[in-house]
Amino acid sequence: MTLVNAVLGGLVTGLLYPFRTLPPIVGLLVVSFITAIAMLVVFRATSNQERIAAVKRSIHAGLFEIRLFNDDLRQILRSQIDILRHNLTYLRLSLVPMVWMIVPLLLVVAQLQFHYGYRGLEPGRTVLVKVRLDADAAAPRDITLEAPVGMRVETPAVWIPTLREAAWRVVAEAPGDYDLSVHVDGRTFTKAVRTSDAVIPRSPVKLAPGFVNQLLYPAEAPLPADSGLASIELTYPEREISLLGWETHWLVAFFILSIVIAFALRNRFSVVL
Amino acid sequence: MTTPKGTTFASAALRILVMVMAMIMGLVAAGCGAGDPSGTRVIVLGFDGMDYEFTRQMIERGRMPAFARLAANGGFDPLETTVPPQSPVAWSTFMTGLDPGGHGIFDFIHRDPETMLPYLSTTETAEGGTSLTVGNYQFPLLGGSVDLLRGGEPFWNVLADRGIESTIIRMPANYPPSGSATRELSGMGTPDLVGTYGTFSFYTSDVLIASKDIPSAEVHFVEPEDGAVQVRILGPDNPFLVEPEKVTSEFTLYLDPEREVAKLVAGDEERVLEVGEWTDWVAVDFELLPLQSLRGMVRFYLRQIEPDLQLYVTPTNVDPIDPALPISTPDSYAAELAKATGRFYTQGMPEETRGLQEEIFTRAEFMEQSRLAGGDVRGQYQLVLGRFDAGLLFYYFGNLDQTSHMLFRTTDPEHPEYDPETDPEYLEAVEGLYLTMDEIVAETLDAIDASGQETTLIVMSDHGFTSWRRAFHLNGWLRDNGYLRPRNAQMANDPGFLTNIDWAQTRAYGLGLNGLYLNLRGRERQGIVAPEARDALMTEIADKLLAVVDPVSGQPAITKVYRREEVYAPGEYDHLAPDLVVGYAKGTRCSSESSTGAVPRGDVIIDNLDPWSGDHCMDHEAVPGILLTNKPLQRAAPSLEDLAGAILAEFGVDEFPRPSEED
Repeated sequence: MTLVNAVLGGLVTGLLYPFRTLPPIVGLLVVSFITAIAMLVVFRATSNQERIAAVKRSIHAGLFEIRLFNDDLRQILRSQIDILRHNLTYLRLSLVPMVWMIVPLLLVVAQLQFHYGYRGLEPGRTVLVKVRLDADAAAPRDITLEAPVGMRVETPAVWIPTLREAAWRVVAEAPGDYDLSVHVDGRTFTKAVRTSDAVIPRSPVKLAPGFVNQLLYPAEAPLPADSGLASIELTYPEREISLLGWETHWLVAFFILSIVIAFALRNRFSVVL
Repeated sequence: MTTPKGTTFASAALRILVMVMAMIMGLVAAGCGAGDPSGTRVIVLGFDGMDYEFTRQMIERGRMPAFARLAANGGFDPLETTVPPQSPVAWSTFMTGLDPGGHGIFDFIHRDPETMLPYLSTTETAEGGTSLTVGNYQFPLLGGSVDLLRGGEPFWNVLADRGIESTIIRMPANYPPSGSATRELSGMGTPDLVGTYGTFSFYTSDVLIASKDIPSAEVHFVEPEDGAVQVRILGPDNPFLVEPEKVTSEFTLYLDPEREVAKLVAGDEERVLEVGEWTDWVAVDFELLPLQSLRGMVRFYLRQIEPDLQLYVTPTNVDPIDPALPISTPDSYAAELAKATGRFYTQGMPEETRGLQEEIFTRAEFMEQSRLAGGDVRGQYQLVLGRFDAGLLFYYFGNLDQTSHMLFRTTDPEHPEYDPETDPEYLEAVEGLYLTMDEIVAETLDAIDASGQETTLIVMSDHGFTSWRRAFHLNGWLRDNGYLRPRNAQMANDPGFLTNIDWAQTRAYGLGLNGLYLNLRGRERQGIVAPEARDALMTEIADKLLAVVDPVSGQPAITKVYRREEVYAPGEYDHLAPDLVVGYAKGTRCSSESSTGAVPRGDVIIDNLDPWSGDHCMDHEAVPGILLTNKPLQRAAPSLEDLAGAILAEFGVDEFPRPSEED
């Protein structure tokens, strides 16, 4: 999983590199465009295009029937039932390409989340750093957070025994890429922090190793297996994307753009959707 | 060579390009059309409570160079304030050009003569009408409303009619906003989410503090368990429940007493704060129904963890990013400001004066909170000023007034509570506030210079300020002179609100900071004074009040008593106006008890020992405001009532207030 994340992360970061300093919507538009084309290709290759075309024709026929026989209630009901039945068939036929697409799409979305889901820390803005211990790890005798030049730890640790958590407030003093160091009973673990607002991957949490953790949080290498820590978390502020003046979550913008582009290009790719 | 398809694509692209360019040009044209077609620019800075005499002395000492520059170029004069000199009254007069008889705001508090219940004078919240009831729930079929009770026409209406832009920020007595300015943010009079002018919460494990009954506060006893406290902030009544029940928002505070630090978790928001620190604004949600909640925001101040927990929470302010109440014009303007400068206090009077009065805050803590509130306003001014292009910009600063109320005794060694050990330090703080106002004027002058555009700058205040040494129990005086009979003369803690008055034997009563009403038959619900006896009774009471001498100073306690007819134009608000307006001598003010309709026992004139040590609700001639301009105005404005007309004259408007249809 680490290898998959590294390859995919490298690809997405490389693809977005030229757009990193432009408004986020620009890069997202490019990604949506590529995704739409990929979806069309997969859809064409994995779906039964003839059956889909036939089912769509049947749905249209049903709609025509309703219009033609609008004074015949029985016929209208029969046509509506037919339309419903054909719709279910259409959904079943679409399911196959969806199954093909869902895994790669999930991997891509996970990567994009770390590019578009969070804003970088602005200098002067405070943020929390939380270190959570494994459920079976002993309470630490000594736990401290060390910030590099350009960042500052503003408070002592709050140690919360019931949560097995230590929390600090930190502030970025200058833009840059930093590593915070967490010292736990003589061992040191790091957590990456990025304070520029460019479109670059940001990892809000560094987790213990595990397939699901790696699948959902691919932007940063996991903690060592014997660390005794469950996570090191840094609460980046969430980013919203402006889509024609409408501020929305990037995922909403991504899906709207991908679907609109896919529909616009379906004839060029000779795909029946 | 292009294929037919390519040609179609190219022509379509061209069409889209032309459309986009047309839209851009349209937007640019709209932008150019903003402001005044003649290019006139007027900036009005409203400094609530800035005192003429104090300002003059500061200028003479060379401490306010920007003000001195204005005084040299345009003039510096006292500005006659209203009768009475109270902020809601004065600002209503400023914006309408009418005396209180014309706009209907006579005091902070009015009473309904039909019910004899006091109410806040500027705003009325009406609940929804008919509702559909299902079990314990009700669903209003008609929405409630928040109505501005101020009458008259704000002067920026005239500008709107002429297509001139106006930006009106935090104008008092303008909640909900008038809707006629291009951009508005409401100010003094804007309630918190509970519907009050500011109800803070205090959580403590100190039994003594928790047992205190503090007005305008919710004090809760809490006991940490496993190093954490789980508590609730009280919101307003849930409008969807048949039986009134307050909605709540929960938060958890994890305590680390060893390091004197805590972590706060409220919904999705988390903060770490040390003892003595404030959080930034934290959004809080109050669930009304599943999937339906009310959004507000608060700031937390961790006062101490050991030996007892003390946590202060601000009143729940309307969140400007998602406002639950109408606080701006257009509705999105509050969010636009918040996104640019961060969330900010939206309650009308954000300085926590009650916290200092009730010893929840020390003076240093109050000053810190006041600095936070003032910082919000000042930071936003820089943004608004930077965006100001043409037309009118009015911007209000209330920090000086509210802070002066709490610190003005430091200017007066003869104040009964003056402390020669600590007060000189806070005198510097008062002067510091004046210096801040000077910095704001300097920034404005720099911005005007940088713009290279002819701009009129007007700096004004609604009234002045002075030390409040002596408190006058007006209702006590009326009782002692046989005009008022309490129901229970021995009541130790009269709750006020006119509840301890025997109306059958009362001829006159006091309510508000300067108001004195006759219990008039045909107007008051249980009136006993015949209308034909009104004149004689008013003369009798006024003469006696003017003869009252303060036994400590040997000076008159009251220097003016105005009849309503002398100072207010007659009109539709006559029934709300006090019959007599009492102008207390400089340094004397109506007691807090009397102003809320209580009948205090004991001496009539007492020392003011309240931390609220400065005031202005006295003889209006004793507390004039200020008027400075960067150039002579086209029309003189010796009083607040004249100023709106003078501002409009800069735009070439000859007549204001405009005659009504009836006129």
